[in-house]
Amino acid sequence: MALPDETRGAVRMSAPPPISNDGTVLATRGLGVRARQHAILTDITIDFPPRSLTAIIGPSGCGKTTFVRTLNRMTETSPGLSVSGEVFYLGQNIYARGINPVLVRRRIGMVFQRPTVFPMSVFENVAFGLRLEHEPADVVEEEVQRSLERSGLWEEVKNRLDKPALSLSGGQQQRLCIARALAVRPRVLLLDEATSSLDPASTQRVEATLEELSHEITIILVTHNVAQAARASDRTAYFYQGRLIEVGPTEELFERPKEKLTEEYITGRFG
Amino acid sequence: MAPVGLADLAQARRRFARWNLGFDRYIGYLLPLLFIVAIVPILDMVYWLGAEALPTMTWATLTTGGPTQPLGLFPAIAGTVWIMVIALALAVTLGLFGGIATAEFLSERSAAWVRMTANTLAGMPAIIIGMMGFVVFVLYFGWGLVLIAGAVTTAFFMTPYVFRAADLAFSSVPRTIREAALGAGARPIDYILRVARPIVTPQILNGIFLALGLGIGETATVIVTVQPSALAPTGPFSYASYLTYVIYAEYTSPLPADVTLAFQAAFLLLMIVIVINIIVRIVAWRYQTRLAGLFV
Repeated sequence: MALPDETRGAVRMSAPPPISNDGTVLATRGLGVRARQHAILTDITIDFPPRSLTAIIGPSGCGKTTFVRTLNRMTETSPGLSVSGEVFYLGQNIYARGINPVLVRRRIGMVFQRPTVFPMSVFENVAFGLRLEHEPADVVEEEVQRSLERSGLWEEVKNRLDKPALSLSGGQQQRLCIARALAVRPRVLLLDEATSSLDPASTQRVEATLEELSHEITIILVTHNVAQAARASDRTAYFYQGRLIEVGPTEELFERPKEKLTEEYITGRFG
Repeated sequence: MAPVGLADLAQARRRFARWNLGFDRYIGYLLPLLFIVAIVPILDMVYWLGAEALPTMTWATLTTGGPTQPLGLFPAIAGTVWIMVIALALAVTLGLFGGIATAEFLSERSAAWVRMTANTLAGMPAIIIGMMGFVVFVLYFGWGLVLIAGAVTTAFFMTPYVFRAADLAFSSVPRTIREAALGAGARPIDYILRVARPIVTPQILNGIFLALGLGIGETATVIVTVQPSALAPTGPFSYASYLTYVIYAEYTSPLPADVTLAFQAAFLLLMIVIVINIIVRIVAWRYQTRLAGLFV
């Protein structure tokens, strides 16, 4: 079974993304994750509109990391987890029978907590996903430059594209990872506490990059930093003990939280 | 007894610090000593074997041999090369695939079983592996006492070392790197060949060279499976001599010339093993600088 935007070759789909009938790029319905008898996530139903930056906040262990990992089927790489419910990507349930998780992950990019550059050159790191899709060399070159520009790294690395990526600084490495995820032109970018290992200056750069990207694609940012959610996102979802407590425009959620739990968390009373 | 106060604690800490300082200093003296303990036997061996072997060793020693030229090592060198090429090819294939499968694809439970089996094989006395080879390849397969029977038997002796290196190397790749590769839509094979390869190569090469160094010096697996011959082997199914056999057979000979030949074979083996170890070091150095920063 094919994913909705299966146009063979990530780059050729440069037209604006087709949106599913109800206007969301990504949506979950009754999503649950269990590890044996223990429920990690229960009945999550949430929509992610196109061109938005949604922050997911909540105390440690509330399941926010597990949640983003279910959105591109990364949960399957850690044994012992079982997923129930549905995740719709452009209207297609990615957990449906016959959907290849590898292809799902090529459409829905992910950036992790720590920079995870591969032991190859800066250029090859960004080109990684394009090489997997066997893109022609000229396309690869073009896309590498475009992605590095979009992640705000081009000016710093344009003269040393053939140097080992491991020689970059931590902040540069993380922006390289974002560039790598962007190179295949995903419509959705998942970030799992992507700035938590960076210094304030690098964090600011990454946030600026994300803010700009959110005018084009859907970004879901897991963060344990409430302040970051407040300043960088336009929507915020609050998770607590494996449940979605509240989701809404960031301003609204921070100024007039509907739930008592949300209010207690964002005002720093626990978490 | 008086209660333990802060002053006692501070005193204990000072005493420990003083002891610790002394310990560091003694270790500082100990290390050069240990280095000498390690290097002296090697130099002694090189000197002692060299003194016996080198005076009569010429290019002809390495390139001639056989019934008409009994003072040459060529048949033994050719036999060792034949056996090692076949054994290494088999051991690398088996060990590499086994190690990758164990580290990347098997469940924790099955992997534990495979590792235990491999470790048992690594701990098995070589002569027992030799007997297994004799029973299976020489008798049951009916190959006879030919070179390939010895090579395949030696491969069983070498495989656990390659296996262990491959298994450890792939298991030691940071989990985050693996996740990132899969998260970018890489299939496991893409991860193995594109992302993990530069990380695991030095460790695996190390294991391969270790296996080669051990296999080349191993006598027990070939002595019971290969019929010695004065002639250089002509193919996998011919009889063969090999360097360790020359040492084993000629060292006790009444003829001084034969004993010298044994020393020459021993010196040659020693040099080969030393060169292999130097190659291992160079490979490790070269990769160390390239991978700096990955394991922080």
